[in-house]
Amino acid sequence: MIYGFTNLRLVILAASLVATLLGLVVGYQAYRGFRRHQSASMRQLSVGLLLLTAVSFTLAFVGTLLLRAEYLDPSLRDPLTLVVRLLQVAGLALITYSLYNRPD
Amino acid sequence: MSEECDETEILALLDDEYARAILGETSAQPMSATELSDRCDASRSTIYRRIDRLTDCNLLEERMRYDPDGHHRSVYASRLEEVRVTFEEAEPVLAIERTETADEDVADRFTRMWEGL
Repeated sequence: MIYGFTNLRLVILAASLVATLLGLVVGYQAYRGFRRHQSASMRQLSVGLLLLTAVSFTLAFVGTLLLRAEYLDPSLRDPLTLVVRLLQVAGLALITYSLYNRPD
Repeated sequence: MSEECDETEILALLDDEYARAILGETSAQPMSATELSDRCDASRSTIYRRIDRLTDCNLLEERMRYDPDGHHRSVYASRLEEVRVTFEEAEPVLAIERTETADEDVADRFTRMWEGL
């Protein structure tokens, strides 16, 4: 137990962190592709990946810490989860849109 | 994609027998202007004029070839993989597939791959 986290929880946290970092790498390359080629679909892809990985993970992580430290009311747990899911939906929607939004 | 020339210019290049010969020879392997001059049976100045036009249209890429004795010289490699011509509102529209350049990196490949899906 470290700071109230069980070993399993720590492994889950580490896996989420790795997923986020990989998402950031792919998102960063998509952003570079957008900058180098002025490609609108690469911009949507990079923002989508960012929302799907880094933004939603950070919000979920910070939210969980605040709930745990009782800075946030426990009744906010479900609304927080909802916002995280909506961010993931928005990210995937952007990625889907970038697939169908063909360059000229 | 940066394009210094328009559809008309590219179509004119494809109509030109020397430009076509240069694209053909350099699609197999990079060649110097001297080699192209021999292979295409054209003067060096003819070859250089076509090379300039092809390079402006991003259909040809200049590379450096280093000889074992330390000298280097320019060779040229075709970037043209495929041209599709369609007509929209009575104007020709070209879809050009180019090959990877020597200095292309992961972001360029990613963009080409994603946009090609």
